Amino acid sequence: MGTIRVLLADDHTVVRQGLRRILETDPSMEIVAEVGDGRAAVEAAGRQRPSVAVVDISLPSLNGIEVTRQLAKATPETKVLILSMHADEAYIQQSLKAGAKGYLLKDADDQDLLKAITALHSGGSYFSPAVSKVVLRGYLHESVESADELAGLSDREREVLQLIAEGKSNKDIAHLLDVAPSTVETHRKHLMEKLQLHNTAAIVRFALRHGLIQ
Amino acid sequence: MTRKIRVLLVDDHTVVRRGLRKILESTNDIEVAGELGSGLEAITAAAELHPDVVLMDVSLPDLNGIEATRRITAATPGAQVLMLSMHADEQYVLASMAAGAKGYLVKDVDDQDLLAAVLAVCAGQTYFGGILGSTRGDGHRSPAVLSARERQVLAMISSGHTNRQVADALGLSINTVESHRKHIIDKLDLHSTADLVRYAIRHGIVN
Repeated sequence: MGTIRVLLADDHTVVRQGLRRILETDPSMEIVAEVGDGRAAVEAAGRQRPSVAVVDISLPSLNGIEVTRQLAKATPETKVLILSMHADEAYIQQSLKAGAKGYLLKDADDQDLLKAITALHSGGSYFSPAVSKVVLRGYLHESVESADELAGLSDREREVLQLIAEGKSNKDIAHLLDVAPSTVETHRKHLMEKLQLHNTAAIVRFALRHGLIQ
Repeated sequence: MTRKIRVLLVDDHTVVRRGLRKILESTNDIEVAGELGSGLEAITAAAELHPDVVLMDVSLPDLNGIEATRRITAATPGAQVLMLSMHADEQYVLASMAAGAKGYLVKDVDDQDLLAAVLAVCAGQTYFGGILGSTRGDGHRSPAVLSARERQVLAMISSGHTNRQVADALGLSINTVESHRKHIIDKLDLHSTADLVRYAIRHGIVN
């Protein structure tokens, strides 16, 4: 029987280390990578090709939902389990749309985490009960999705948006994305036009409102 | 044979709490006397179990961690409280210490820091982990370090006003506004306008 190869992504180090020890109690699981930001998560997944990625929804540099979206394209065999503090309807919807197969709240216990990873590894899904309620409510009431302004942006524009809101300079962003600063400047201009944001403060407020940063 | 250090764990994020438990139990010196998800229950548990250390999250669903700390240190003075939090805002740190906590840890410290902190506060020392030199630009300084004028400027900049708009509204020159902005950034130990905006929103200076 093969082991379940798992990637752990959470920026709270001691929390992530605790999660690792929980996984270590299960001999069927092998942690192939442990990272503290979204960009590192995508890189590590590309290198290690884990079966399951446990991804905190709020990661610096690239948030959990963006990580999910990028992994769906780059390593589609990796199943993403989102870890979150809240059963927020918008986050749940966006996570599922991005391709996440599981959504676990942090008030779940250690056995739930192991069950969730095992379920996803076998091709299934796993939702905390409170999350299932929200998902069902969405189906039953056919809640109308508010126009998702973020959907109008390209992947790159969304990435640049988060990094600007995190306080990174154009130079830093260019370095992180491995592009020229002028390219970053272009993305910045476009996203500001599309979202009708006029300055950095407006970008930060938008990012906070949409949960791109905490 | 010295007896083990007994720790009471309080955090409503169960999976996080279980992970912390495993870290603590990985050493021979520490044993977890109990784990809970409620501030109110923690007060009773501390009085019954007489732990050496209470490791407590600042944000709890019923009674907040700081108030629970106050009551625990009053009722069970032998229990040293070590706070755990996502943020290291000066206000929370000071409030925790005023409530009687002996230590304060931010969640991006590592397991070695956690263990060192437990040992330190058990021995009656104070311990701060991950509070100074944060690279996230979250700002741990209190807004009280700003002058009234600086707070006005911070509020307007964070609401999205341009330097010109701030200057006009407050009857200042643009140079003066820019100078205020620099002072604010320095005083709050931040690095950019984006940091200022996040700080202002977190501290309720703007919506």
